[in-house]
Amino acid sequence: MRFLLASCLAAALATALPTAARAASVSIPVPTVENAGGTVIVRQSDGAASLVGVTLIVRAGLDRQTMRQNGMAALVAETIVRTPINGVALEDAVAARGGSIRFTIDPGDVRFYVEALAEDAPAVLELFRAALAAPDFSAVTIRDARGVLVRQIAQVQQVALQVGIDMLNAASSRQANAGLPELGTPASLAQFFAEDARSFYRAYYRRGGAVVSAAGRLDSLAPQALAALAGALPAGTTSPVAVRVPQLNGATHEIVAHRDIASPWLIAQYPAPNVNSRDFGPMLVLASFVRRTLSDIAQVPGVVSPTFASRSVGTVYAYDRAPATLVLYVNGGLIGNPSRAFATALSVVSVLAASRLQGSIDEFKAEAAGDFANDANTLETRTWLAAVFSTGSASPDFINRALAAISATTPEDLQRVARSYLGNPTIALVLPRGTNLQD
Amino acid sequence: MTARIAYALAMLVLASSSLAAPAGAAIARQTGALPRGGSYVLYPDPTVGTAAIGLWFRAPAAGFDDATPGIADLAATAAAVAPLASGKSLYALVHTVGGELNIEVYPDIVGIGAVVPAYASRRIVAAMTAAYFAPSVDDAAVKTARANAAVLGVQQRYESDTTLHDLLFKQIFATGPAHYPPLPTSVSQLTSITTAQVDAFAKRAFRAQNSVLALTGNVDASSISAVTDGNGPGAMDTPYDSTLEGSPASTTAAGAVDGVGLAWIGPPIADQKAATALDFIADYLFREQTGVVSRVLDRADSDALVVGQFITLHDPGVMVVTIGGSNEKQTEKSVLAALEALQQPMDAPAFNAAREAFLYHVATDTQTPQQRADNLGWYSTEGNLDYAPGIASGAYEQSARALDPQYVAEIVRRYLHNPVIVDLVATTPQKEPSR
Repeated sequence: MRFLLASCLAAALATALPTAARAASVSIPVPTVENAGGTVIVRQSDGAASLVGVTLIVRAGLDRQTMRQNGMAALVAETIVRTPINGVALEDAVAARGGSIRFTIDPGDVRFYVEALAEDAPAVLELFRAALAAPDFSAVTIRDARGVLVRQIAQVQQVALQVGIDMLNAASSRQANAGLPELGTPASLAQFFAEDARSFYRAYYRRGGAVVSAAGRLDSLAPQALAALAGALPAGTTSPVAVRVPQLNGATHEIVAHRDIASPWLIAQYPAPNVNSRDFGPMLVLASFVRRTLSDIAQVPGVVSPTFASRSVGTVYAYDRAPATLVLYVNGGLIGNPSRAFATALSVVSVLAASRLQGSIDEFKAEAAGDFANDANTLETRTWLAAVFSTGSASPDFINRALAAISATTPEDLQRVARSYLGNPTIALVLPRGTNLQD
Repeated sequence: MTARIAYALAMLVLASSSLAAPAGAAIARQTGALPRGGSYVLYPDPTVGTAAIGLWFRAPAAGFDDATPGIADLAATAAAVAPLASGKSLYALVHTVGGELNIEVYPDIVGIGAVVPAYASRRIVAAMTAAYFAPSVDDAAVKTARANAAVLGVQQRYESDTTLHDLLFKQIFATGPAHYPPLPTSVSQLTSITTAQVDAFAKRAFRAQNSVLALTGNVDASSISAVTDGNGPGAMDTPYDSTLEGSPASTTAAGAVDGVGLAWIGPPIADQKAATALDFIADYLFREQTGVVSRVLDRADSDALVVGQFITLHDPGVMVVTIGGSNEKQTEKSVLAALEALQQPMDAPAFNAAREAFLYHVATDTQTPQQRADNLGWYSTEGNLDYAPGIASGAYEQSARALDPQYVAEIVRRYLHNPVIVDLVATTPQKEPSR
């Protein structure tokens, strides 16, 4: 009986304090940052990890392509991943040594992520360094790389949300080339020869502006191992290819696409602040608010456990992208009246810009903080976020910067940010083939 | 203060002192007794922003008499949604602090998991242990639990992997909790279970002595002092094993989606080397993107989806392969052919590369706090905590490094022949949800 009473008191005390009154920070070592000959090196040591993860960012993304080079950034990156090292493609050689390698094409960058068991990490990084320094632009490797990309493009085309976001990114990019599809198209890739890829590599794979961000058991690496990775590239910096397009007129834009999918998806995109903006924290909270509102409006079934249906609506705040965006989406196949839910959500967002939220926003702040922290648990996301947050000489302490920004957010901030960013959405409708807007 | 509590506090002090290690140094797993019954395992990582808290129990999903399939699910959910002394339920509290709560019910064990920002870990440890060690299940909580189970049940009908898993276990096990699906397919089975039955089950199954608390991520031993409930010293229940069918038969079942499932009876968790060999085989053949069978399907642009895993259980474990999508029977032939090929030892270079890749896959799949807490909880309640994957230089890694081609081939010959096969046949037109 005494134990039970004690537990009741403790639980009551624990829940009585409002969330916002408690610590809005966590005690974790702050990543270290150094500049090594124009390359930024970010380190997060983690003794509980069995692995080493390294993100290498090179300024050779979409905005280094001309409009006719749609897919070239991806083709060069895939060629590096397919480059034979002692007769074995880099990707397979890394796997055989206990690791993995993959890449992502961003508007301004290509980012490679290499991960390996701590004891294998030095050898795996050396394999990557060798391929990075001397990619194999032979016809065979280019053909292999193109084949891989074409298969990936086909897979992406079946993911309605990604199709919609790609279209919206194309529409919202200030530079037309930065809004091109990340992997290009099968038709555009078919136009490229080995010499085209080699020229792109020579022009843009430079160590100036590169970032090497590592996390995990860094004690297994030689002190210069990370700098040596960027050192595989020649010195120098590059600039984007300027391809401007006129802005579309009008308050709201709609883009429609048809794909081999079972149900319609409705997706809206708004401009959003980046991580160095004072609006970053409020937008994280706003994203939580909109997500909750969308769920409530859609009356998503799901009581305790997450279900397909509870994941059929949501928001994506891409603060790590340039330009940053906020996307909200509804999967029309899993909820009753997707059009009404979507329209109501857009209306709520508009109203939010005009009037201050009544009541406490603590719950949305807590949700935003939890989501951010929970999304930053893998070595890959930790290396990426530390790199993103370290831009512009800012602190790479991504967790505590985000938590502090969320904690400081007021209802007035939400209204200000809603007014600044959530005025004119661009809307994408991804429909099953054979249907139209009236359906 | 009892001697047991004094001992526990002393252990906390010792455990806390070891956490001052620098971030770069390897961090050790710690175990000990909870203040009022049960045990804990702590594997801290002070470099991440979240903490994962897992509370695991040995509990038969179909009830202690195997007569009420679904009762463990109802009890676990009801305890999570029932109001605590503060008026707020564990489920609500976890969401209030920005966390996520997961309730996992398996035939023989129940796991409750929460991932929360590190600064909220003590509150959730207190609330979770209060919710389960002193459950207060009422009609409203059971009603919510039934609704949750009904929603999950509908969803599960369209998941060939889960459906086939349950059907295969029904064929393999003649009696015991594994013979029954953890979540019954019939709503009437759920509504026939009374609040009194759920409450009685919760009080018996969710005793502190029958629990393991797994703490991982940015959390330290001081969180254990937040455990404020418990029933005093006692032992964990013995494992709820099921009895094998003498001659398990293959069968055909009607469902909402098509699929094929294959299952083979494997070794108990105590046979670490054989269990690890079967994990290796599942990884080598069926892992998404890298598995031999998966890559063949990818290259052929096949819509078939193969999931293969060895399910490590107290005794015995089960190797399960499920095939969904399309061309199931053709893919089944590919699966069986790949297994037949493995009856002969792989050549040394290919084997060494596959083993190194396997070691890496295990490490990358156990890197987040939640993944670690789930592994520590599962392996503790199945009876072999030391064998939990993801512990650097632990027993699992040692078993994996000790594998050789001859032994793996021997394991294939010993266990992976004459599978039990379930053909799941859709009786209604199928509609795939959009991704």
